[in-house]
Amino acid sequence: MLQIDSVSRAFGGVYAVRDVSLTVAEGETRAVIGPNGAGKSTLFNLISGHLLPDSGTVSYGPEGERRRIDRLTPHARARLGIAIVFQGARLFGGMTVLENVMVGAHARTRHGFLSAALRLPRHREEEARIEADALAALDRVGLRDWAHRTADALPLGQQRSLQVARALCARPRLLLLDEPASGLRAAEREALAQLIESLREEGLTTMLIEHDVAFVSRLADRVSVLDLGRHIAEGTVEEIRRDEAVLSAYLGEGVS
Amino acid sequence: MKPSPRWAAAAAVCAAALLAPLLLSETQLPVYIVLVLAACVVTGLSMLMGYAGQVSLGQAAFFMIGGYTAALIALEELPTWLGLAASPLVAAVLAAVIGVPLLRLRGHQLAFATLAVQLILLNLVGQQEWTGGDIGLQGVPRLAIGGYEFADDVAYAYLALAVLGLTVLITRNIVKSRPGRGLRALATSEVAAESSGVPVAGYKLAVFSLSAGFAGLAGGVYAFYFGYVAPSSFPVLLSFEYVVMVVVGGAGTIYGALVGATAVTLLLQLLNNIGTMEGMPAAAPTVLSYAVYGVLLVLVVLFMPRGLVPTAAAWWERRRSARPRGDDPASDGAERPAPAPASV
Repeated sequence: MLQIDSVSRAFGGVYAVRDVSLTVAEGETRAVIGPNGAGKSTLFNLISGHLLPDSGTVSYGPEGERRRIDRLTPHARARLGIAIVFQGARLFGGMTVLENVMVGAHARTRHGFLSAALRLPRHREEEARIEADALAALDRVGLRDWAHRTADALPLGQQRSLQVARALCARPRLLLLDEPASGLRAAEREALAQLIESLREEGLTTMLIEHDVAFVSRLADRVSVLDLGRHIAEGTVEEIRRDEAVLSAYLGEGVS
Repeated sequence: MKPSPRWAAAAAVCAAALLAPLLLSETQLPVYIVLVLAACVVTGLSMLMGYAGQVSLGQAAFFMIGGYTAALIALEELPTWLGLAASPLVAAVLAAVIGVPLLRLRGHQLAFATLAVQLILLNLVGQQEWTGGDIGLQGVPRLAIGGYEFADDVAYAYLALAVLGLTVLITRNIVKSRPGRGLRALATSEVAAESSGVPVAGYKLAVFSLSAGFAGLAGGVYAFYFGYVAPSSFPVLLSFEYVVMVVVGGAGTIYGALVGATAVTLLLQLLNNIGTMEGMPAAAPTVLSYAVYGVLLVLVVLFMPRGLVPTAAAWWERRRSARPRGDDPASDGAERPAPAPASV
């Protein structure tokens, strides 16, 4: 589904991501772990399009229709089915929870200024469909009761859920989750884990940045480890646990 | 179902606006027409500032372009309705062209760049022979649509109201729909809007162009009503006036645009009356009108940073929720004011 080839990106001469290559298969749930500053979020931004690589290529698409996307704008990549949930709460304040989720459908709907201004029947039908989809997405993350409140009024944990609902309303084919569980309480983490599990069962390809080992072990098919911008290891959770490069990256040299 | 206060207010505003041309005196009617035209410009600018988070300090330039377009076409002996139809199109296309480089700028830089555009256009128009130089274009014929000639002030008042109605309708339809959600989203977080599939740059350009189109249309009506256009009719101060109207009324609300335009026009008119009273120095009207923008802007930003309409709406909401109620709490929230606009 996703193929990254020798991608590098530097900021002011310091590599945030250095010569990273990895492939994520369709339907896979891939965890990306690594110490702080390892380049995990930078990698996600290179996939979502908020950063462009200095060198290397990013290709995306199901088998047979894979294409390079590393020069596309983020909204063009969103149209191709890539959705991202940011680490911080990036909500549309002043809009209702429902409207926030409806924005998520932007990536797969078309009607523009002209048909909106004229209120064409097609446009109104599309609006009704988007609203129904958004309510369904809110149901999934348990926010339906909040639909008509403003997004700023949500507690932090629910703000994350709202971002997830927004991403789901786009009906993505590749979902990027940047530390979705951080700052959540136990019950919220459990709900999130169950949601990710159900998405996996539906065959959605997911990439997940996460620190919590239990969370990763439960959800990830495979794990990629970044350290100082380099992709130092990849494998199943068990393989990664025994990997010497990973142990030394986390615990320092000489431990094994 | 009982009519909601929102509908009652809308009906009252419409009724008052439609009755006004019949009730106002000969000297008041021109002020009313200019007010309604300003409301058209301000509605577009309010969408630009409130929803797209962009500030234009040169909106009068598009008003001017519309006016000159209408005047030039009418003076070429072409049908006058063609002039009116072309005025929003020319302004919108011009905005789309200059918007490509301009909208790469943000905040203050964009505001100054739009101001510069107006100064450049004023200079150009003032020096070209075919635009009549500083004297401008005189003797623009009266507007005629399908054999009906708009001859007197009352006819132009209703024409201006029709244009305002169209502007408000288009704005409302856009704001409440998919592109409107995209605009409101990008005003709070461009990054998140982009990754939800909103083409941020394209949307900004579209709303910039649309607001210029509204201003151009109002300018077209202006040219036919006054019968002449000159650079001095479209000073930079006029652009500031529009921004003040948006801020006073509350950016990103349609009612705010209408209230802002009305409040500022009435206040200016009042000050003008005071300034031209016997015994006042000759410069008094000008000084007073300049001063009022400054004072008004400072007062509003200090005490009602969201503007009159959102502040009043919030007050009403608080008052309503303070007392026990039986009506449904979900009815509101469908149309919330957008976040505070970027400051100038």
